[in-house]
Amino acid sequence: MNVSKVLRVAAREFASTAITKGFIIGALVLPAVMVLVIMVVVMVTMRSQPPADAGTIYVLDRSGEVSDVAIDRLSPEQVEQRWIATAEGIKDAAKGLIGGLVGEKANDAIDNAAQMIRYPKFRVIPTAADADIEELKAELREQVATTADSDADIETLIAIVEIDADATRKVNDEEGYGVYQAYFRPKLNEETINEIEDSVRWSIRELRYQNANIDRDTVIELSSVRARKSKEITEQGERNESSGLTNFAIPFASLMLLLMACMTGGQYLLTTTVEEKSSRVVEVLLSAVSPLELMTGKIVGQMGVGLSLLTIYNGVGIAGLVFFNRNDLVTPVTFLYIFVFFLLAYFMFASLMAAVGSAVNDLREAQSLMTPVMMMMILPYIFFMPVIRAPNSLFSTITSFVPPISPFIMIMRVSSNDPPPTWQVMAAIVLNAIAVVLFLWFAAKVFRVGLLMFGKPPNLRTLFKWIRMA
Amino acid sequence: MTNAVSMQGVRKTFGPKVAVEGIDLDIPLGSIYGFIGPNGAGKTTTIRMIMSILFPDRGELSVLGKHSAIESKDQIGYLPEERGIYKKMKVGSFLKHIGRLKGLDSHGLNATVMQWLERVELTEVYKKKCEELSKGMQQKVQFIASVLHDPDLIILDEPFSGLDPVNMRLLRGLIDELHTSGKTVIFSTHVMFQAEQLCDHIVMIHQGKKVLDDTIDDIRTRFDPRAIHIAPTAGLGIADEIGQVDGVAHVSVVEGALEVILREGMDPQTAMGKLLAAHPMNRIEIKKPTLEDVFIEIVTGGERGADAEQLRADLLAGENADSEEAAS
Repeated sequence: MNVSKVLRVAAREFASTAITKGFIIGALVLPAVMVLVIMVVVMVTMRSQPPADAGTIYVLDRSGEVSDVAIDRLSPEQVEQRWIATAEGIKDAAKGLIGGLVGEKANDAIDNAAQMIRYPKFRVIPTAADADIEELKAELREQVATTADSDADIETLIAIVEIDADATRKVNDEEGYGVYQAYFRPKLNEETINEIEDSVRWSIRELRYQNANIDRDTVIELSSVRARKSKEITEQGERNESSGLTNFAIPFASLMLLLMACMTGGQYLLTTTVEEKSSRVVEVLLSAVSPLELMTGKIVGQMGVGLSLLTIYNGVGIAGLVFFNRNDLVTPVTFLYIFVFFLLAYFMFASLMAAVGSAVNDLREAQSLMTPVMMMMILPYIFFMPVIRAPNSLFSTITSFVPPISPFIMIMRVSSNDPPPTWQVMAAIVLNAIAVVLFLWFAAKVFRVGLLMFGKPPNLRTLFKWIRMA
Repeated sequence: MTNAVSMQGVRKTFGPKVAVEGIDLDIPLGSIYGFIGPNGAGKTTTIRMIMSILFPDRGELSVLGKHSAIESKDQIGYLPEERGIYKKMKVGSFLKHIGRLKGLDSHGLNATVMQWLERVELTEVYKKKCEELSKGMQQKVQFIASVLHDPDLIILDEPFSGLDPVNMRLLRGLIDELHTSGKTVIFSTHVMFQAEQLCDHIVMIHQGKKVLDDTIDDIRTRFDPRAIHIAPTAGLGIADEIGQVDGVAHVSVVEGALEVILREGMDPQTAMGKLLAAHPMNRIEIKKPTLEDVFIEIVTGGERGADAEQLRADLLAGENADSEEAAS
């Protein structure tokens, strides 16, 4: 084999694929645009929240004591205070969850989001204790009919709450406490309804504590059980229990990187091979290089494409982790493994692509031969959940030793929080290397015969006949 | 090494179909050889075997003294029958790429490419994409790709198809130049008169077999049709009288004239004298054998009949299709 010719073919293959507008847009600009679009969509969704409701609530309080508490509870000052407190709580929780993965920088975003909350405003009017609920409902119906949603303001009747006389005091133990019922104007915001109902419930509960002579704070204190952050004890020492997000995100990202780099290189290899064959350039090329040199050059060239993508996206990934101070999540060895397993997976996939590309006359014909290859590439997706839930189960171990999906499963296991022993990784590398040689041998045979075969596209049986022929 | 290409008993089959059946052939260095035969005769398969793109099932083959063209690929220039270029590549880059693949040094490659583009009058396309060129231009670019690296053996498969008459002449001139400078040239065509114009040696292939392998002059002598074309002043109606002249075996009407076939052993000069003496003539000439005639004679075994006419029609159809292609 003439190495300089192989490199020449590889250089053209790489240049004609990677140094094109289409590729640069597809590989670099598109992901950037997608991130941007997602950010814009999130911001727009946040800003385009429906305006907070405002309105009047009638409280028909037959118990005679709830309405005072509820009026206080639903006063604009108290509502505002509660919403701000809730926002702070959500903020802290979000920081705990997301910040745990992406670090301090995310907190600013969460703070900003918390600024944007809106809350409803109410005017609460107690009715006479003997008012007729049907009349009140008629008034609400009248209001709904006469006032459009857009014209509604604090004067608009939006809800009626009817509270039973025995809601806060039991008449006897058999019947228990009485109930309350709320009637609402349609199309109110979810949080408006929740706010009203929660406040009424809170008021009723408050009165029940008082009437039963139980201190509210005591109840809260008794029912709250706090705990320190759980730890994992590992061989090296102890660490924070890895959150679900971390558990899944890193192996998933590794798998996607590997699949994407393989698929991109492989797809381009298929396309250029079919193109060269259908435009008959191939015969010109074969007068200068041997089929094996041509195939090797093309595979190496597209390997360059895959490696570039992998390097770029890996770089972005590392930059992201460093930016959020979470570079402890991925070890340098994992990155090394990503490249090693990429090469192994790519050579197998590319062999199949080269074989398919050389065997068919156009891309349409390639579809039927591509189906089994693509189905094979989907397997790692399907196996993602079972493998990641138990990276060292029998299933995970076995599938991580079955080429050609072995590299994909192995990289998931390696980047999981429970990596397999090193000897398994090494064994998988050796096994895959052997498989690569077999795949390349197969591809070389098909490639040589296929390139100059025009006419009826072959099925798998003809392919095997070619292998015997070559 | 005196032969550029040498083949012994080469045979190639594609499944049940025998494409080439036991061809023996020696092509001396410095010669210009034409492979002729109708479409599907086995010319391209033979050439692909010489190029080691296909491998013979049986038989021996040597190219430039090596067992396979692979070992001397860089000394061989090859223009395939199917035109192939990278559509999206610029002409200059394409030619340089092929040049590099053929083992040329990148130093001075640009100048060589420009020089060749000048020779085929295409300097303006250097920066154009290959797909922007007309078919004829692509053909010329392809031709450059096959000779760019100054090969010793040049194999051209149907080099003239798709060219207009002006460019045909240009290409003929270039091939002639290559031949004169001592290169060995092999080309195939199904248009026989092109072979007559260029070659000093003809190899005729029919149904995978070599049916003729000789120089043009020898072929002319051997396949002298012993025919004289005459246009009698009295008109074509006197065919029967002409038939009575001494030495005439057969008279028929061909293309507005009478074709007189002479008896075995009759000298054409003497016969012409006798014909002129017998009847006044507007025109009288000895019919030269064309390769077409030779081909038909070989294939049909010298018989004249429906088969021969059909074959002639097929051959002409091929040529017409070609010239129409050139016209468009």
